[in-house]
Amino acid sequence: MPLVPETSALTIQNGSPGFLSTPGRTPTSVTVHPVALFTILDHYLRRTESQDRVIGTLLGTRSDTGEIEVRSAFAVLHSETAEQVAVDMEYHHTMYELHHKVNPKEVIVGWYSTGSNLNTYSALIQNFYSQEIAPHQAVHLALNTGVEEGQQSGVKAYVSSPIGVTPKPENAVFLPIPCELQFKETERSGLDLLSSVSNGSTDAYPATDLDILERSLQSVSDMLDRVLSYVRQVLVGEVKGNAAVGRYLMNTFGASTDELEKGAFNTSLQDTLMVSYLANLVRSQAEVSTRLALATAS
Amino acid sequence: MAAAIAASLPAPQSAPTPAGPTYEAIPASMSKVIDIEADIPLACVQLDGMVVSKIIKHAREAHGTSAHGVLLGLDLDGTLEISNSFPLPHHINDDDDKSVKGVARYQASMLRSLKEVQADDSVVGFYQAMALGSFYNQTLVETQAIQQEKLRHGGVVIVHDISRTARGNAAFRAFRLTKAFLDAYKRNNFSTESLINHRMTFSSILEEIPIRIRTSPLLGAFLDTLSAPSVSAEPSFTKPSSALPPSFSVLNLGTNNVSKNLEQIIEAMDAYKTEEGNLAYMQRQIAREKGKADAYVAKRKDDNAARIAQGLAPLPEEDVSRLFKIPVEPSRLDSMLLLGRIDAYSKTLEETSSTALVKMYASRGSAVV
Repeated sequence: MPLVPETSALTIQNGSPGFLSTPGRTPTSVTVHPVALFTILDHYLRRTESQDRVIGTLLGTRSDTGEIEVRSAFAVLHSETAEQVAVDMEYHHTMYELHHKVNPKEVIVGWYSTGSNLNTYSALIQNFYSQEIAPHQAVHLALNTGVEEGQQSGVKAYVSSPIGVTPKPENAVFLPIPCELQFKETERSGLDLLSSVSNGSTDAYPATDLDILERSLQSVSDMLDRVLSYVRQVLVGEVKGNAAVGRYLMNTFGASTDELEKGAFNTSLQDTLMVSYLANLVRSQAEVSTRLALATAS
Repeated sequence: MAAAIAASLPAPQSAPTPAGPTYEAIPASMSKVIDIEADIPLACVQLDGMVVSKIIKHAREAHGTSAHGVLLGLDLDGTLEISNSFPLPHHINDDDDKSVKGVARYQASMLRSLKEVQADDSVVGFYQAMALGSFYNQTLVETQAIQQEKLRHGGVVIVHDISRTARGNAAFRAFRLTKAFLDAYKRNNFSTESLINHRMTFSSILEEIPIRIRTSPLLGAFLDTLSAPSVSAEPSFTKPSSALPPSFSVLNLGTNNVSKNLEQIIEAMDAYKTEEGNLAYMQRQIAREKGKADAYVAKRKDDNAARIAQGLAPLPEEDVSRLFKIPVEPSRLDSMLLLGRIDAYSKTLEETSSTALVKMYASRGSAVV
């Protein structure tokens, strides 16, 4: 049986690979929690007519090796015209205080914006945030919602570094750093639920444990069917077999279940049966007891 | 020709609109009196995808202390749409006046801020996270009772089970207090006759409302992009090919927290036994006092009869209740809640053991054949 790892660090298909690792306290990689992503998307949906893109603050934790973990986000009021950009700092401070009360471990680590164009305003806002959390550097997360034609949805993370002759705040270059999606395994089923809902499956909700089990077993059975048909094709000679695939299959299916018969498996099975019986017994007892309380004195 | 005929025909009468909610603006002066939405009873709760993930995250991070927070949204046409939520800071001492005010200030401040970014800012309920399936406790009932009086439609409680999510089945349930229970709670009378009158068992404290989960299309598209496997020339067997590969953690054969669950059942049963013992003791006290009072009254009557026979003035029948203090009948709310907890714990145990049995027999099945 495959063991399940504690966390899963998975990669979002990053359009622009490569990163520059600079020494010091510059962030080297960013991991994003799904909640932050969903909050940003929700904020984007709620924007007013006049706003083309929305910005907000990222909260999370910073590790010593420069890895930033973004745990949540909140929206910040801002207005952007052709001549100037304004960010409501008061609002930003208020919201940060409130969030900090619930989660003292989360600190400001950067800011986000929807839409992946980086312009002068981005540099200015980046400068503002870097000043907020000095001496650490702020991370900029550009989330592309994929709503416009030709743009693929995705997340990119940047750090800024000054460029040019004069150190003005708007002269900065954004360096991309790798960005990953990370969540604990315990939250996995929540994401599965959301994916299945968005796929339009009409199963009854809430699904019992047995329903979920059935679905997993069904998908494993489908996978086995596919593997079986592939192996048959290779044996007949239709498809040229891949040696790596063959070795992998042999390792996976080589495990035998003979030793299960002996030892702790049977006792564990009996224990489970007994526990199930006991649970039913307790439930019926509780029900009887509560009815008895109603029956007296009448 | 046909067009001319069509033009000469009178415009077809539109079908009479059903008496549904009208969307005209209600004049401000009347808005307190006419509350159209309040007449439509709640049939269903709709949870937004973002709320789901926020609650799961908060529940997981606040381990040890129970996580609770506020739900925001709108009720529309019989469906309560929950579009946002925020966690409440956990206060250590519930009776402390300052911390209660602090929480109220936090909530007001949060609502104000959210309003500025065009998020919904009407409170429609609160959520609570718990482990292993049991959520019948005093605080939940009290908070919900207060809420049901204050909020239009009465708020709902969304309960989230962390251990169930960890097992692979993210489940949210929405509850509301039943009318019968609210009635008894208002009068604060949980004596035996009151229970019988309302026919209250632990299962009739809360009534469940069906939940629907909704993801906005943008969210759905994003999730699809994340879980779509990327095509590459060299498929590797160790690295998953998409950002969100399918997970099969539910197929694990594990202990499923059985020992912890059993411990909690035993604890709850001990508490219940103590509670029942107390109740029985109080009942005995009451019976004893009543017996003494009755004996006194009877003795008085006999004395009076004897004195009348002798021709003396009868002694006054004193007010018995001042002499013998009959204690008030104890409230059975606690024992009912405890029974509810025992039932919920054993239900969880039952579910985990049934799936464990299925998995065990399945993995053994191949060896038998």
